[in-house]
Amino acid sequence: MKHLSDQDLMRIVQAGDYSPASEIYDRYSGRIYNFAFRFLKNAEAAEDATQEVFVKMLRHANQFHGDAKLSTWLFSITANWCRDYLRKADNKSKESEDVLVTLPASAEYSPDRTLEQRENEQRVRRALATLTPEQREAILLSRYQGLSYAEIAQVAGCSEGAVKTRVFRAMETLKKTLAVVGGREDARRVAPLEAANRGAS
Amino acid sequence: MTECSAVSESMPLLLTESLDAARREVTHQHIESCGICSDEWNAYKETWAVMADLPEVAVPARVKAQFLERAGLAPVETELPKNVVPFHKRTAFKWIAQAAAVALLVGGGYFVGDRQKPDFVTPATATLATGNDSIRPISTSLAETRVLDADALSPVIEGRPNISNIQFVDADAADEKIAVSFDVTSHWTVNGNPRDKSMVRLLSYMLENEAEMTPRSNTLEWVRQTYSDPQYADPEIANALAKVLRNDSHEGVRIRAVDTLTTLPPTVGLQARDALIEALKSDPNPAVRIKAVEALANMARNGETLDPMMVDTLRQKASQDDENLYVRVKAAEALSNIKP
Repeated sequence: MKHLSDQDLMRIVQAGDYSPASEIYDRYSGRIYNFAFRFLKNAEAAEDATQEVFVKMLRHANQFHGDAKLSTWLFSITANWCRDYLRKADNKSKESEDVLVTLPASAEYSPDRTLEQRENEQRVRRALATLTPEQREAILLSRYQGLSYAEIAQVAGCSEGAVKTRVFRAMETLKKTLAVVGGREDARRVAPLEAANRGAS
Repeated sequence: MTECSAVSESMPLLLTESLDAARREVTHQHIESCGICSDEWNAYKETWAVMADLPEVAVPARVKAQFLERAGLAPVETELPKNVVPFHKRTAFKWIAQAAAVALLVGGGYFVGDRQKPDFVTPATATLATGNDSIRPISTSLAETRVLDADALSPVIEGRPNISNIQFVDADAADEKIAVSFDVTSHWTVNGNPRDKSMVRLLSYMLENEAEMTPRSNTLEWVRQTYSDPQYADPEIANALAKVLRNDSHEGVRIRAVDTLTTLPPTVGLQARDALIEALKSDPNPAVRIKAVEALANMARNGETLDPMMVDTLRQKASQDDENLYVRVKAAEALSNIKP
């Protein structure tokens, strides 16, 4: 299976044979899980999202026409699932609560990650949490998944112009939140102040 | 639109190399000649670089196993080492084996159904036993769902029966009864009042021993909904939650345990507070420590009395240099709210 292209694997699935499911999962589960985890800020929900996306991929395989990349189609399903998740009122309230609390231990405690790296990681997570879901979706797909603006537009169901605006606004917010004015050192100096303010409020 | 603002709007496109060659050239020329835009561009690049500090997280292996199970696919077979001889099924034996299995099922079903003994479950490694011999005997047969009152169940769960497929039911909210159904060797439903010791022990056992993360989480949610009601306050539930907080391998479950502990009525508050302090002191995950310190800070804010050991722990955390900054700030906040 490993030598087959995504399109070939999907053709087999479309014919009713699910045997390529494991290979497709291995190719894309990491990207799907990380996107969902960063979007939802909740490890349990990201696990559910990953599982659901691949189950939907099998159930609705015939909706994949091969004119788009498989990754784009899978991200569309993931983004839809995540948006639905955030739309539910109880999950929304849980989302804000979980901003600081659902960090997977594996990355957090990897021995080769320094304290400084971990603090930066926290700051980036918090900064991403300040974005609107639309901006967060666009910046995550652009920065971490390397999707083009046209592909993001397909995933988000909006125009390319809207994607450009979302990425621009997201970057403006992140620039301010991460307070990168004169380089990374400045950013680190303001971080404790931010945290203290957050704690005080 | 001024040239600077147009260039500023193009900067994200420049970062993602989404500008065509001509616009890229014009934008770079402007950035080189304009000090403000040059600073802006450096800030963009730095922000983009800082974002790389978010590491990739590995997908837990259970997600794939669950997906393949749902898709009706067996887990991927691993290749056998070269020194292992594979065992091939012999077709002739298949029919003999199937006939033997049918005979065993029919004979076993008759034998089990014929016995009419008091109810008990005997999994391979442990026993979930009924409390006394006077209960109504229930006929048993293979693949039958059995319904039992909690008071017919021994409050002591011996060994480690493998309970799975847990579901909670509250068919009638007015009747003060809840029901838990699960599989041991066959499907069981246990009905009872949340105050029943047997029900408390069964739920405690499920909290501590259920192998899958999602059912543990669901049990926590059920416990939170039921035992936050002061009339059902039970120290044993608080102890079980404390054990989950202390021992569960999944940080999401531990966080949910903190949430559940904080909703318990004040009558069992002592166990809850001890568990929170312990988590704050020694949980390896900062997210769990953050949850614990937030809970303690809320208690202090609400005027609850914190004993000297708790105050010491909060002091220690507030001044611990290598502790997460948010934990330190919250510990300090809790200290400032303690009433003299």
